[in-house]
Order: sequence, then structure tokens, then C-alpha cells
Amino acid sequence: MSKFSDGMRTLTGGRGLSQYSMIIALVAIILVFEIWTGGYTLDPTNVINMVQQYSYILILAIGMVMLIIAGHIDLSVGSVAAFVGIVVAQSMAVWHLPAGLAMLLGLVVGALVGAWQGFWVAYVRVPAFIVTLAGQLIFRGANQVVGNSTAVPTPDSYNWIGNGFLPDFGPDFGYSNPTLILGLVVIAALIWKEVHDRRKRVRMGASPQPVWVSVVRLVLLCGITIFATFLFATGRVGTSFPIVGIIAGVLILVYSFVTSSTVFGRHIYAVGGNASAAVLSGVKSRGVNFLLMMNMSILAAVAGMVFVGNAQASGPFDGTGWELDAIAAVFVGGAAIFGGVGTVAGSIIGAFVMAFLANGLSLLGLDASWVSIIRGLVLLAAVAFDVYNKTQGRPSIIGLLLGGFRRKKPNITEEAIQAQPQGLEKPSGDQVDKVPLS
Amino acid sequence: MAATDDRLEPVVSMRAISKSFGHVQALRNVDLDLYRGEVVALVGDNGAGKSTLVKVLAGVHAPDAGTITFRGRIVSIPSPAASRELGIATVFQDLALCDNLDVVANLFLGHELGRGSLDEETMEQRSWELLRRLSARIPSVRMPVATLSGGQRQTVAIARSLIGDPTVVILDEPTAALGVAQTAEVLNLIELLRDQGHCVVLISHNMADVQAVADRVIVLRLGRVNGRFRAPELSYEDIIASITGVLNLEEGTPEDDPRERLPDGPARPLRSPGGSTPAGDAEGGAR
Ligand SMILES: Nc1ncnc2c1ncn2[C@@H]1O[C@H](COP(=O)(O)OP(=O)(O)O)[C@@H](O)[C@H]1O
Ligand SMILES: [Mg+2]
Repeated sequence: MSKFSDGMRTLTGGRGLSQYSMIIALVAIILVFEIWTGGYTLDPTNVINMVQQYSYILILAIGMVMLIIAGHIDLSVGSVAAFVGIVVAQSMAVWHLPAGLAMLLGLVVGALVGAWQGFWVAYVRVPAFIVTLAGQLIFRGANQVVGNSTAVPTPDSYNWIGNGFLPDFGPDFGYSNPTLILGLVVIAALIWKEVHDRRKRVRMGASPQPVWVSVVRLVLLCGITIFATFLFATGRVGTSFPIVGIIAGVLILVYSFVTSSTVFGRHIYAVGGNASAAVLSGVKSRGVNFLLMMNMSILAAVAGMVFVGNAQASGPFDGTGWELDAIAAVFVGGAAIFGGVGTVAGSIIGAFVMAFLANGLSLLGLDASWVSIIRGLVLLAAVAFDVYNKTQGRPSIIGLLLGGFRRKKPNITEEAIQAQPQGLEKPSGDQVDKVPLS
Repeated sequence: MAATDDRLEPVVSMRAISKSFGHVQALRNVDLDLYRGEVVALVGDNGAGKSTLVKVLAGVHAPDAGTITFRGRIVSIPSPAASRELGIATVFQDLALCDNLDVVANLFLGHELGRGSLDEETMEQRSWELLRRLSARIPSVRMPVATLSGGQRQTVAIARSLIGDPTVVILDEPTAALGVAQTAEVLNLIELLRDQGHCVVLISHNMADVQAVADRVIVLRLGRVNGRFRAPELSYEDIIASITGVLNLEEGTPEDDPRERLPDGPARPLRSPGGSTPAGDAEGGAR
């Protein structure tokens, strides 16, 4: 038993099984629905549908987790998405803008909306909760003004971003060629990253993990990739990997990098961890808050445009309840309600949980009112879990927040031993002497 | 002789600093000079204005009146960044650490290395060098600060203030929350900083700490300087009397004559009755 848990700890880089509880929850949900729906959940057609239908949760969760890390929230994402959607649809219907220009317009409108909300949050210091509650009303109303409260259809040249697929080419093996190539690229990238991380750990003087850890991790990740590739490559004729999947994937990669490895990302965590300390250290917290609010609205714009493309029309009730999906995804993904903690990767897993939940429940033909009740309970449970962990003195902070090579238990290096010549009180969470505030 | 001159010239010289918050007059006409290689203790009761005085230097509060001279140049310190730029580093009373970040991230917060992506390798290496210079006992620089003990957190906060090699290091009640061993560690650190030529300002409630490391003691009472003492004449009774107001110095007492600081300087009694400068006290006899 203890040997097993030791092995698990090494495999997960010191985080132990509990840190991976959300991945386990995701796998459990998928398996339960797979059995419950008689194998339909993991049917290629359903998976492809799901990516197209629920990618908005992924896209919104990225922006939302960054805001929540910094200690804010955005309740207006659904309304902003709907507003941008109707502006884009109308611009093509009334002004006959080409699809590309309309998308650009959508991004600009999203940025302007974000600048508006960011101004109130960052410079007037109105809590984001209030600003975006107001935004929820304002932009829902604006959507109905621009669209005259009716649905506006969008042309096929545009709908491609919502319901399009990677174009097929080459000889026919019975699989979609671009999807196979994509799968191979992902596998190559996974292997390259593992090797790169091991090298980096060696350079930093940290002892690299045993080889079997890398091998097991790679086998698992590559296995998932091969399985997913197979799913997407064997869908109905004419389907392959959805364009929205590519959009979401690129956004995930870019924002994972931004949050974990850039100065801006570091400052997001600092502002959320201790805003006054961050300011005293020279972090421009107002700028950070402003950019985060703006970024959220731009991502909401992307989500709205993708959704409109998939629905082939922009309607007055698009995006209702999206804020709940995004916020729930972030908390299921391990972010802390008080800010300072969370990762893009965790939130993506949370977004998958929410998407599989919504999809599975609708496949089962459950009444919409019950779906709503269940999703509400999931959000409550996720936050309660975080609060409970905190009161137990088990901050979800450690490791969660730092990905990659920093995902190791504090290992006692040579320097560490030199730096502690005598007995040292064992550092532990509950021993922290809290320094009183002035 | 040049070295002596360097020590005679104050690095920071504050004159007639006043600051109020609403009706609370936190500082009234405070003069303060800081020299290299010296530990100045700032003592006084709660609410005496110690933190406010150092926050003026740290760029957190702008003074309502008065001038600050830094190396002979009159400066204004509008922001914490401007203060650091001058070479003034402050460890605030509440430490101002981000508990959710690890030691390296805290040490380099606001001065991260690397363009585009963070240079974690160099930052980690420099962190070890810095902590070793302070003989700090931190088991891993990749631990979140929340998991460190009070003394270790204090050490991290002090270490962070040293990045950028400041001239003046201000410590606001660094030992208030510490045990005996940890306090001794911090006091050692303070002496180390002084010996390295920094000018250290120490705010403390603990007279034993003050007597152990301070070269000069400035007593604040109700926002005024109410007494100035110099080692080795740090009489516990006099300092306490000055803090509580039993002993009062004339207002507007001029700053110390720097020549007194030299061993061979003229031996004048420090607490000579003032009046040598006309006291420009705005409040009149509000005492
Ligand atoms: N930001 C502030 N706003 C209002 N009053 C303040 C503020 N900071 C300090 N004060 C007041 O100024 C006086 C001096 O405070 P402070 O400098 O913190 O004293 P201490 O010597 O205990 O550090 C106190 O009466 C305090 O209440
Ligand atoms: Mg104070």
C-alpha cells in the first residue's frame, strides 16, 4: 500500500494522488456516462459534436481562471459573448462585411467592452463582481438592441470557425489524414517536452526523476492522444478534427505559457496572493487588473463568435448561464475561491468535467431543469471542497500552482544542506507564525 | 580622510517632515539623518508615527511638509518604485510577501529576470547566493512562503530588500513575531548589513534588541522626535522615560552633529538642552 502511494507520489511529482483528484473525477464521469449511455458518450460523432458545442467553456475557462487567480470574477461573459455575436452577425448581414473582417471586428468589440469593464475595476476600483453584474445587464440589453431581439443568421463562409473541420487531403486510408498528422505532432511534442524538462532539472541541479516515471507518464499521455486521434479520425465521412478544437488548443498552449512562465503571469499570482505586497514590490496591479478584464472579454468574444458559427445564427438568448459554466470549470479545476491559486491546465480539466456532465445528462434525456440543478450542485461541491481543504490546513497551493519542472517536492539539495548548518524547525503548514498586520 | 568624509555626509536627511491622516497628526516636524554603516533604532509607543515615518521614505506616503535630501540632492519619493530606485529598501511590518508564491518568486517579485519568459534558472541560483550571504536557513527556495516559519519569512523579506544592493535598509518591527532564537538570527543579520556598509533603520518595541544592535536611538512620541541617544549611552530608563513622555526634549532639537559620531570627535553631552535653533513648530505648544 505505502509502496503504491510512494510510487504514485513519485509519478505525480510529489503532489500525491489528491492533486490529481480532478483528473480522476473526469475519468470517472466519462466512464459512468459511457456505461450509462450504452457506449455513446465516447462515440466519435458525439465527441466531435461535443467539442463543437462546448468549446466555449474551454475558451472562457482560460480567461476566467486568470481573473480568479487575481482575485476577481466576471459574471458578464455570456452577455458579452452574445453582444459580440450579434454585432458580428449584423455586420455581415447589414454591411456585408467579409467573414474575416467581421471576426476582426468581433475581437475589437470584445477588447473595447473589456477596456470599459477593466476601467471600472482597475482604475475606479469598483469590485469586478459589481462591474460585471452591471455588464451582464448592459450587454444583454445591447445584444437585443443591435439584433432587434431576433436571431440573425450567419453565412457559411463565416460558420466555418464554429462547425468546420481540418480539410482532408492525400490518399484515403479510411482515416482522416490531417487528424492523424495532428496526433503525431502532439505525440512528438509530448516526448520533446519530457526530455526538455529532464534536461532542465539536471541543469538546475535538481535530481531528475527516475526514468520509469517519465516512461509511465509518456505512455499515459501518448495513450490518451492516440485514443483521441483515433476518435476524431474515424468520425462520419467529411469530419475530422474540428477547427474550434484547434482554436481552443492554441489558446490553451499560449495561456499556459503566459501564466506559468512570464513576468505578467507571475504578477497575476502576486496580485491574487497579496495585492498590497505586490504593489509595494513594484507590480503594477492596476495594469494587471485592467489587462485581465480586457483579456476576459476578448476571450468571451472568441467564444461567442465560435458559438454563433456552430449555431449558424446569433440569437438574443445566446450565452445565458455561460458564466456559471466557466466559473464552475475553474473551481472544479482546483482554483481557490480567495484567489492566488489555480492553473490554466486545471481549469481545462474542469471545463472537460462540465462539458461531459452537460453532454452526458442531455444524452440521457434529462430535463433541462434537472441539468441546471446538477450543475449548480457541482459548482457548490467544488468550492466547498476548496474551502474545506483550506480549513484543514491543507492548502491546495503547493505545487498546484507551479507546473513543469517546479512540480517537485522540495528536494534537499547540497545547497540546502549547506544553508542549514544546525537543526532547523521543520517547516509545515500549521507552524506558520502569522505576522500581525500593522 | 575620504572615507571619514563619506561617513560624515548623511545619506538621507529628512527635515521638518509632517504628515497627517485626517485629524490624526502622525508626524510633526520630524528631522532625521541617516549615515552609512550605522544602525539607527526608531522607538516609540504604538501610534507614535514610526511606521508612517519610514513609509514616507519608502514612497508609500507623501509628506504634507518638509524636505528629504538624498546624497545631497533634494528628492521627492512618489512611489515605492522611486524609493527603491534611490537605493532605499523597506521591509514592512506585515512583510509584504505573497504566501502563494515560492521563495524565488517572492525574492524577485517586481524585478523578475528574463525577457519574455522568466529565467528561473538564474533566479534560483541568485536566490541561493543571496540566502547564503545572509547565512539563511531555508531548506528549499521552491517552497511556497506560506509553509515557512516566522523567522524564515522574515529572512526572505530581508533578503528580498537586498536585491539591487540598496544603501538604506529599513526594517519595521522585524522581531515582533519571532521567538528567541529567530530574533537572535535577525539581529545578527542586522549587524551583518551594517558591517557591509548599509545604513540600517530598525523599528522595534524591544529595548533589549535595540540596545544590542543600535548605534543611535531616536524616540518618537505623538509624531515628534522626543529624544536622541547614542551608543554606548543607551540607558534603558532614559529611553523608556522618553518614550512615555516623562522625559521631554526641547522641540526642534537639531540633528546630531556628525562629528560626534567619530571616536575622536568632540565629546559633547548629547541631550544638551536645545534652543540652539529657533523651533519652527507649526502647532505651537500643542504638547
Ligand atoms: N493609512 C493611515 N490612515 C489613517 N491613519 C493612519 C494611517 N497610517 C497611520 N495612521 C495613524 O497615524 C498614527 C501613527 O501610526 P504609525 O506610524 O503606524 O504608528 P507606529 O509608531 O505604531 O508604527 C496612528 O495614530 C495611526 O492611527
Ligand atoms: Mg508600526
